[in-house]
Amino acid sequence: MALPLAGEQPAAQATTVQHGPSAASSAPRRRGTRGGSSSRRYLIFLLPAAVFMAVFAVFPLLQLAWISLHDVTQRTLNAPDWEFAGLANYIRGFSAGESLPAVTRTLTVVFIVTAGGMILGLTSAIALRTRGRWSACLLAVMVFVWALPPVVNGSVWKFLLAENGLVNTVLTALGSPRPVPFLYDPQWALISVACVAAFAVIPFNALVFRAALMTIPPEVFEAAAVDGASRFQEIRYIMLPAVKGTTLVLLVLTVVYGFRSFDFIYVMTFGGPGTATATLPFLGYLQAFNRYDYGLGSATSFLAVAGVFLLAGLYAWSIRREEKQG
Amino acid sequence: MSQKNRRLPAGIAALTAALALSACTGGGGGAEQAEADSEGPQTVTVWHYFAEDAQVELMEAYKEKFEEAHDSVTVENVYVPYDQMNSRLVNAAGAGEGPDVAVFNGAETSILALGGALLPLDQYWQEFDDAELISESVLHTVDDEMYAVQGYVNLLGLWYNAEILDEIGVEPPTTMQELEEAMAAAEEAGYRGITLSGLPNSQGEWQAYPFFTEEGFSYEDPDETALSAALSRVETWVDEGWLSQEAVNWDQTVPFQEFSAGQTAFAVNGNWQRGNAAADADFEYGVVPLPLSETGQVYLGGEGQALGANSQNPELAWQYLQETYLDPEGQLMALEIVGSLPSRSDAAQDELVTEDEILAPFSQTVEQYGATYPDSVVPAEAVGDLQVTMAQAWSAVIGKQKSPEEAASDATDALEDLLD
Repeated sequence: MALPLAGEQPAAQATTVQHGPSAASSAPRRRGTRGGSSSRRYLIFLLPAAVFMAVFAVFPLLQLAWISLHDVTQRTLNAPDWEFAGLANYIRGFSAGESLPAVTRTLTVVFIVTAGGMILGLTSAIALRTRGRWSACLLAVMVFVWALPPVVNGSVWKFLLAENGLVNTVLTALGSPRPVPFLYDPQWALISVACVAAFAVIPFNALVFRAALMTIPPEVFEAAAVDGASRFQEIRYIMLPAVKGTTLVLLVLTVVYGFRSFDFIYVMTFGGPGTATATLPFLGYLQAFNRYDYGLGSATSFLAVAGVFLLAGLYAWSIRREEKQG
Repeated sequence: MSQKNRRLPAGIAALTAALALSACTGGGGGAEQAEADSEGPQTVTVWHYFAEDAQVELMEAYKEKFEEAHDSVTVENVYVPYDQMNSRLVNAAGAGEGPDVAVFNGAETSILALGGALLPLDQYWQEFDDAELISESVLHTVDDEMYAVQGYVNLLGLWYNAEILDEIGVEPPTTMQELEEAMAAAEEAGYRGITLSGLPNSQGEWQAYPFFTEEGFSYEDPDETALSAALSRVETWVDEGWLSQEAVNWDQTVPFQEFSAGQTAFAVNGNWQRGNAAADADFEYGVVPLPLSETGQVYLGGEGQALGANSQNPELAWQYLQETYLDPEGQLMALEIVGSLPSRSDAAQDELVTEDEILAPFSQTVEQYGATYPDSVVPAEAVGDLQVTMAQAWSAVIGKQKSPEEAASDATDALEDLLD
């Protein structure tokens, strides 16, 4: 009984796929009229999103690029004209020795967020794959964590990771000779904010991975059990292949998330100690809104945007590839 | 190469600022006042960044005072986070929006004035009867125009836990050596030595400045050796366990909360903590001037009060300032509620100031170490950059990102360009 049930999905899909050409061949004239009309209707539905994106995404990005090519300070920000500076702001960022270390810090954060978010996200999804009361409770908690505003999440972690915070209290009770300088040592601070960012993305990744795992028919696991497969073999030969396509998409999304790391740094360390946690987005903020050198801040921020653009392109490509494969 | 370009019209920054501000202010005071005639209901919108209880209480007290005197007027106090205040004011000005009154870090007047966020006050000041009673050190002028005035002065002093000092048998320090000996004794007795802010923003520079100048450093003649010596001192405090390395994460509120918990001997903090100390500290405490050398200086800071560039009713807004911040009774309210020192010479002579055990050391500091904030040698456009640069050096040494020598070298290199 199980196998026919499992085969129902492709059959249903095949029916759907056949329906289009079949309907088209029976009524060619109507198809032309209806097709043109419905594509125009699609455009109307797309319009609000397109306008929203144009106003709140495309235009600010153009503005950012424009400012990065000009000498804009607090004196000239609201002036009618800005002095053209070419690439001087970009060169100044690197020659002042600020941009390169910020790129390194950003890549460190991206690595920790991606590795932590992907591995723990998948692990959580595997653990939560089964349906049940505990699984549902844990899922609810994860959604809650995911939905928390970063400012709240970051503030909570700032308390937890403080010198006299809960984490250090527990560690001290377990025998740690001195508090761990989670947020006030240059190396620890960068790792800590990256780990908190990774923690915040785990629920989202787990939910997406879980959705992919839930598409595996239970009969596959029953067959594996009959064949004597171990739990590890189930993961290795059934679950991992099943989430392969999802993994690529999620990987790109997580890298983008790590690349635009700002909010947790703003709340937890303000880029410090010194400049130890000043990633590209935070450095851009500091230059624009604390030093009031909007041209320099825009140039730094645009570097971060360029990185995200690259990854967004990769994301679009991976989505299309997955759709074709699907 | 000076090629003029037509800027992209209006700008999304203006649009988003307008949206953000309307969310914050519920429509903005300017718009509301435009609709109101001179006899109808009017609103004075006041932007401030106060989060501490005593400071918020003062804002509410000023609101009540002004509303009681003017039946048809509503004062709307709007909280804007400290580090967003300047950018929001400048962005709002670009969008033709903004508050009627802005209360901000007085040292950053130049940033706001250059950004077009403030209205020049010269005309109002000339017509102000009590202008001569206000000290010139609290008037903020940019490009020969006056943009802000302070109703009070805030500055740093050395708070001490009298019970800990009694226990370890030391007197409140008058020199840096005495302070360090006291911190060592406190640490030996199981207490923390001192709290201060090492945050890499303007608050860090404000706190670091007395220690920089203590070693002979000045912005007029930035000496790398003197700066390095100052940074070495604070590094020693961290190494000895007198100061927590965690200070790099603290703004000025947190270290005073730590001090108020009763386990720290000293706190470098301001007179505005007087109300919080009375409310939170359940131990005997006192204040002495920071134990600085002859070269030591303490910024005379505090919030600047100004009129928003796009205020629809600047006359009413100025009246609000006259009857609150610049009024003798209003200044004494700030003194009683927050502990701020009046900027009017008549209010400063009130016995509330001269006989107050906590405020008297601050008054003494004004005379002994008081310095203009920001230093007049710092160009108006470089104020923000300089504050971040110096605060990052301070934070980098406390947090062990850089050695004092490296931090001093980097900072003085940056200062060469900024002070040029």
